[in-house]
Amino acid sequence: MADKYTQAVNTGFTRTLAKRLGLPRPSLLRRHTPGAPLTVGPVLVVSDDASVADADVIAKALLGWDLDVRRSAESTAGDEHFRWGAVVLVLTGAQTPESVSGAVLAAGSTLRRLAPNGRVVTVSRAPESGDAPAVAATRAGVEGFLRSVAKELRAGATGNAVQLTGGAEVDSASALAAVRFFLSAKSAYVDGQVLPVGPSGAAVDTAYWERPLEGKVAVVTGAARGIGAAIAKTLARDGATVVVVDVPPAGEALTAVANEVKGTALQLDVTAPDAGAKILEHATGRHGRLDIVVHNAGILRDKLLANMDAAKWDSVIAVNLASQLRIDEYLLGAGVEGLHIVSLASTSGIAGNKGQSNYAFSKSGVIGRTAATAPLVAALNGTINAVAPGFIETDMTRSIPFATREVARRLSSLLQGGQPVDVAEAIAFLASPAAAGVNGQVLRVCGQNLVGK
Amino acid sequence: MATNQPPTAAPRDAYIVGGNRIPFSRAGKKYVNASNQEMFTAALEGLVARFGLQGERLGEVAGGAVLKHSRDFNLIRESVLGSSLSAQTPAYDVQQACATGLEAAIAVTNKIRLGQIESAIAGGTDTVSDAPIAVSERLRKALLEANHAKTLGARIRPFTRLKPADLAPASPSTSEPRTGLSMGEHQAITTAKWGIAREAQDEVALNSHHNLARAWDAGFFDDLVTPFRGLTRDDNLRGDTSLEKLSKLKPVFGLKLPEPAVPTMTAGNSTPLTDGASAVLFASREWADAHDLPVLARFVDAETAAVDFVHGHEGLLMAPVHAVPRLLARNGLALEDIDFFEIHEAFASTVLTTFAAWEDEEYCRTELGLDGAFGKVDRSRLNVNGSSLAAGHPFAATGGRIIATAAKLVAARAAETGRPARALISVCAAGGLGATAIVESA
Amino acid sequence: MTGGPASDGRRVEDLPGLPGLGGLYVKGAAASATKRPRPGGVTLPAVTYRVPGVATGDPATAARLRAYQDLVGEPASDVLPAGFLHVLVFPVATALMVRGDFPLPLLGMVHLRNAIRMLRPVRLGDVLEVRAWAENPRPHRRGVQVDVVAEADVSGELAWRGVSTYLAKGFQVAGAPGSATAESAEPSEPVEARDFWTPPLPTGRWRLDAGTGRAYGAVSGDRNPIHMSALSAKAFGFPKAIAHGMYTAARALADVGPAHRGEAYEWTVEFFRPVLLPGTVDVAIRRTGGVVHPGERPASGSSYVYDGWRPGKDTRHFTGTVTPLPLPPKE
Repeated sequence: MADKYTQAVNTGFTRTLAKRLGLPRPSLLRRHTPGAPLTVGPVLVVSDDASVADADVIAKALLGWDLDVRRSAESTAGDEHFRWGAVVLVLTGAQTPESVSGAVLAAGSTLRRLAPNGRVVTVSRAPESGDAPAVAATRAGVEGFLRSVAKELRAGATGNAVQLTGGAEVDSASALAAVRFFLSAKSAYVDGQVLPVGPSGAAVDTAYWERPLEGKVAVVTGAARGIGAAIAKTLARDGATVVVVDVPPAGEALTAVANEVKGTALQLDVTAPDAGAKILEHATGRHGRLDIVVHNAGILRDKLLANMDAAKWDSVIAVNLASQLRIDEYLLGAGVEGLHIVSLASTSGIAGNKGQSNYAFSKSGVIGRTAATAPLVAALNGTINAVAPGFIETDMTRSIPFATREVARRLSSLLQGGQPVDVAEAIAFLASPAAAGVNGQVLRVCGQNLVGK
Repeated sequence: MATNQPPTAAPRDAYIVGGNRIPFSRAGKKYVNASNQEMFTAALEGLVARFGLQGERLGEVAGGAVLKHSRDFNLIRESVLGSSLSAQTPAYDVQQACATGLEAAIAVTNKIRLGQIESAIAGGTDTVSDAPIAVSERLRKALLEANHAKTLGARIRPFTRLKPADLAPASPSTSEPRTGLSMGEHQAITTAKWGIAREAQDEVALNSHHNLARAWDAGFFDDLVTPFRGLTRDDNLRGDTSLEKLSKLKPVFGLKLPEPAVPTMTAGNSTPLTDGASAVLFASREWADAHDLPVLARFVDAETAAVDFVHGHEGLLMAPVHAVPRLLARNGLALEDIDFFEIHEAFASTVLTTFAAWEDEEYCRTELGLDGAFGKVDRSRLNVNGSSLAAGHPFAATGGRIIATAAKLVAARAAETGRPARALISVCAAGGLGATAIVESA
Repeated sequence: MTGGPASDGRRVEDLPGLPGLGGLYVKGAAASATKRPRPGGVTLPAVTYRVPGVATGDPATAARLRAYQDLVGEPASDVLPAGFLHVLVFPVATALMVRGDFPLPLLGMVHLRNAIRMLRPVRLGDVLEVRAWAENPRPHRRGVQVDVVAEADVSGELAWRGVSTYLAKGFQVAGAPGSATAESAEPSEPVEARDFWTPPLPTGRWRLDAGTGRAYGAVSGDRNPIHMSALSAKAFGFPKAIAHGMYTAARALADVGPAHRGEAYEWTVEFFRPVLLPGTVDVAIRRTGGVVHPGERPASGSSYVYDGWRPGKDTRHFTGTVTPLPLPPKE
């Protein structure tokens, strides 16, 4: 559910009042419902001259997803009531800063008619070592451009960037999966993000998208409530058999989640030395395999560093960071093939937060370990990524004092907090086979929070 | 022994897959608003979650409660309907006082052994906090008469015969109907008869608390217990108790026994009234394999017994003393062959009078029909992870607690030593009843 | 009232039916005052009362039987417990004791003991011939004791025989020189046994509420004021109402149970201190005569002994036996 303020400014008398007073009016975000169209309207695919071929490939893929795809805005020019569902700006071939002008302005001209919950997605290449300065400049420029555009968007619309790396092709599975994720309602609270996508296999067929995790076995830690429970439900919806893990004292809620997702409950303290072995034993013993591990278990023990004690510091590090390292090490040591690991980082880990030095250390540490583990997992055909949630409406954030909470909520481009399911959707995407080309990345799910990168 | 038949070869074996219970809570505390149905459903849900049984049509679910509301005539079936199991899972209620849970297990495993069913859950639940309150016998008769009456006058008339005292509710009694003695008083008599010392009883209680606390701390119950209503551990458990603390408690039973009996039974060495529920998953090997579920142990055999306590011939809680020799003999086993003795601690002295009887030559000859003393139980094998004195004893839930604990113990021991391990389960019950069983590593 | 042949020197007087107890009590109470110890001692009337046709097939008797069984804990059955037969014939014995020539006062006599033999089962519907007489006056250290004997025949066969022994304090046996024989009066009951008795371990505990006397009074018809209320009991020197001795004995008989006593049995009881109401009685019901192995039937001759006392005290209320008897051969 959206918070009360967001509900108020979107309904009835309070909506009119808020409009008159010029109050900020966060939108009711469109979220994924099975069977609903991918976008809220037709999709415009534009590109600079050097990227036309890639744009065609993307347009063709979009047509395959039953979208109304246009290559030009001209036919709609006179229609006041026409609304675009999304604009895909393809700049993969751009070599000079001057060359993108036409494409970005064409995209810009549609923004006034972008529907609520519309999407702007750029597809470009990442600047890489060895790039000519002009090429690197052009490629880097797209990042700043996209982040700024995202901040201009209104009414639940978002802007995100797919940034191809390592020579990844636009028609590869992961490039198209990333485009699809950003176009869809699944990325409702992902805004202003640039996602590097490396090479991956051939595009998946259409049937895949219904249940992308069909036949997969996933383990979710800290799954008894909040974001963890949402992750379990989302992975199950996408077809995975889910093993939900939480500490024994959380067993009652864990049981409810396990039974809802028709998975199995494993009461386990992730800090136990044999946690990795127990997880692998349960997953393979009960379900025959292990494909996905979501390190969601985490605790908060906020205190100003001046007042911090060993118990508060050590427990946060043990649960939020050390346990993940130990479990990953065990699973990789056991040679588990094709593992998709996704960890929960936090915007606090990126930007820092007063009173959360321990928590930020752990979450920042998660980001560092994600990058460092990426090549090790890749050697076993797996991936490891992190998701950094911003302000998410959970039991935990509901305990924050009202004023602080209100400020935190409105501190993003979307003027509201996210829902646990928003984090879960990003994780489900990163855990999916089609996201095989995304490795070692941190995807923020923060509604383009003003703090951090 | 007259009743010792050669073992009948069962068509196949029944296995214990695993168990689940909610933490046991002292009466009137955490579960004060929880009904039997809610508690048993919670135990079932935890078991379903642990083994991924959502939507599964099991062979059957059997269990019961000792203290039962009349509305709970189909308690176990209603619990199944409220669970994530398939609604096509049959269920029935069993009642054998404190042996309800074990008797339910005996029933379902026999069906599995016969091939009538492939899988089953057995268990039980009890609440003293939410116990049924009945009206007095005179008021009940008046209500029934008024209900059958045709005219207003006839409806009122029965009530004019009532006295104020008839309006007081009748609480469920823990007294034996035929003797008017509470279970504690009965056991106090048995304790006096066998001359069991206070110190020995306190020691049993101490071990129960320490063993249970150690098992909890070691994570033994991580896959045997699912929290309920915010309770994450058995709240009767006193891991920090000591002989000194136990020795300070005043005796509560046997206070009026004639000399030379001395009161020895205290709140510390007697089980408190407790709320809770437990459930155990049983299956044929084929079913377990097909569901990728490892099995912990085999439910080998069981024996029940009853004694004539009404005429003072035998102690109320001594029936297992009679059952176990028959059970072991039938299976060609002796006390030394048992690795774990899981003996329900209704009272510390129940365990001790059981042992004393087995060690008494004369008694074993005359009462049990043995050639001599049955034998001595190695105390280091007794209730190694605690029992009812520490965990509490929600009557019908105790059997399931013990079976799951025993199964896990023998599985771990067998894994450690590479040799089969065996546990003997013994539960005494009101009415002079007792149920016993052998569990062996799979 | 018609005359009949004498037996044992007693004249048989036939009563038309069972007398009403209420009227007998009024009569007995009035006469009690006049019955005082006299010089020359006690002489019992040489008369046997007989009621030739006591029907038990009527609905009232069936309802009374059910109420009796409920109260004392007997299972519902058409077989009349020995205690029920005792209350059934009690008015005949009482009628005898309120006779003007019966020398002892009805109110104020102490019920010392009772010995009943159930020789063959009596069922609802059987027609009884009931006889009652008094015999065997003998010294007691506190007065004189006398046996009131009652018998019930079914189809000409003796089915039930009860001997109630009462003590009348302060009376003397005819021809007895004062109280000189008191010491030898009770050879079966040494003084030590009464004074230094230690209870066994109990097998049961009875909680008797204040209405116990009224409840048994209602089914037995024995509404002796000492049982009915604290107030009426005080008039006779008791601090509270006391339980009927035969009620406690009947509960013990029920506790032994039909399966253990069989269809023919002897049932005895000896009363000591009365049970004050409300009160709690600890009882021990023990089988004598060896152990029964699993699967075996109790050996014939094994019997039950029961005791009742005040919990935590040595105050003994009663003791008794229940002994199975061989059934007479069927003809």
